[in-house]
Amino acid sequence: MIEDIIHVLILAGLIVTAYLAVKLRDLLAAAVVLGVFSFLLSLEFYILQAPDVAIAEAGIGAGLTTAIFVIAVKKTARWEVEE
Amino acid sequence: MRNIAMIAVFAILLSFFMYIALNPADFGYSGEGLNFGHPRFTDMDDYFIHNAQNQTASNNVVTSIVFDYRGFDTLGEATVLFTAVLGVGLGLRMLRGDEDDE
Amino acid sequence: MMSKIVRTQANFLYPLILIFGFYIVMHGHLTPGGGFQGGAVIATGIALVVVAYGYEKIKRWIKKTHLTAAEGIGLLCFIITAFIGIGTSFFYNFLANSGLIFGESIPYGINPGYLNTAGTLPIMNLAVGIEVLGGLGAIILYMMAYGREVSE
Repeated sequence: MIEDIIHVLILAGLIVTAYLAVKLRDLLAAAVVLGVFSFLLSLEFYILQAPDVAIAEAGIGAGLTTAIFVIAVKKTARWEVEE
Repeated sequence: MRNIAMIAVFAILLSFFMYIALNPADFGYSGEGLNFGHPRFTDMDDYFIHNAQNQTASNNVVTSIVFDYRGFDTLGEATVLFTAVLGVGLGLRMLRGDEDDE
Repeated sequence: MMSKIVRTQANFLYPLILIFGFYIVMHGHLTPGGGFQGGAVIATGIALVVVAYGYEKIKRWIKKTHLTAAEGIGLLCFIITAFIGIGTSFFYNFLANSGLIFGESIPYGINPGYLNTAGTLPIMNLAVGIEVLGGLGAIILYMMAYGREVSE
């Protein structure tokens, strides 16, 4: 029962963080939200009994991709502009 | 209007995910389509599960498939990573910055 | 360069992340994980110290040439290990059940897990781990090194 509740909460969090990553105008916040998305996705992979993919997703998605996005935002522009 | 559409999309996606999450074994089991939990073709799986420990002496069957039975996939993945780093280095060297390095 | 709190925490976490990454690499044939995952974890540690200390201080400790050299050496070791078994076929596991290094047999079924098994798989895990840590760390350092920061 408790694992079903956690599973559904993780899935709801995936949708919410995916929407926020698209919606936010502050690109630094969007990068951090994308890191949270990757972390929740790695938890979902672990629940679905794929620990190999969970480790890869936590290392690359939540760790390295967030760092690369933060560095890229720091060297370009922080706020998204409307064309 | 956009809020209503967003909430509708959220509800549809969440109900779809919840259906998959709470019934993982019988989702699309009978018939065509997605088959979570009950793959239709199991001969190769049975071969790997029964023979991988004896043939490669490895407890982790996933690693024995990735590095031994399907080694060419891993070779291609390593080559893709190598090429990605090559592209990043070649592309970023055009920008100004750390010229006095090495 | 970030604040002293971040630097102290990075000093504490960096060896732990490195040890955990090499554990994942070396136990790739026993527990979940492998070369790619372990290399990614080690590259995360490199990203942590680079972000905490800034590129100007870190480029004396971790050099881009060393990381790209590690990448090339790892890929070369992987291909050479695959080529040694060319007598039977490419990627043939010639060390498994042979009694040499990494050559012990294991019983079928559930067992506690022995490190000295699995033939060429630990060697390939180590090669791919070195390659991935070099590649992803080099990407982080390239991103930090080139281009200039924009102040709003």
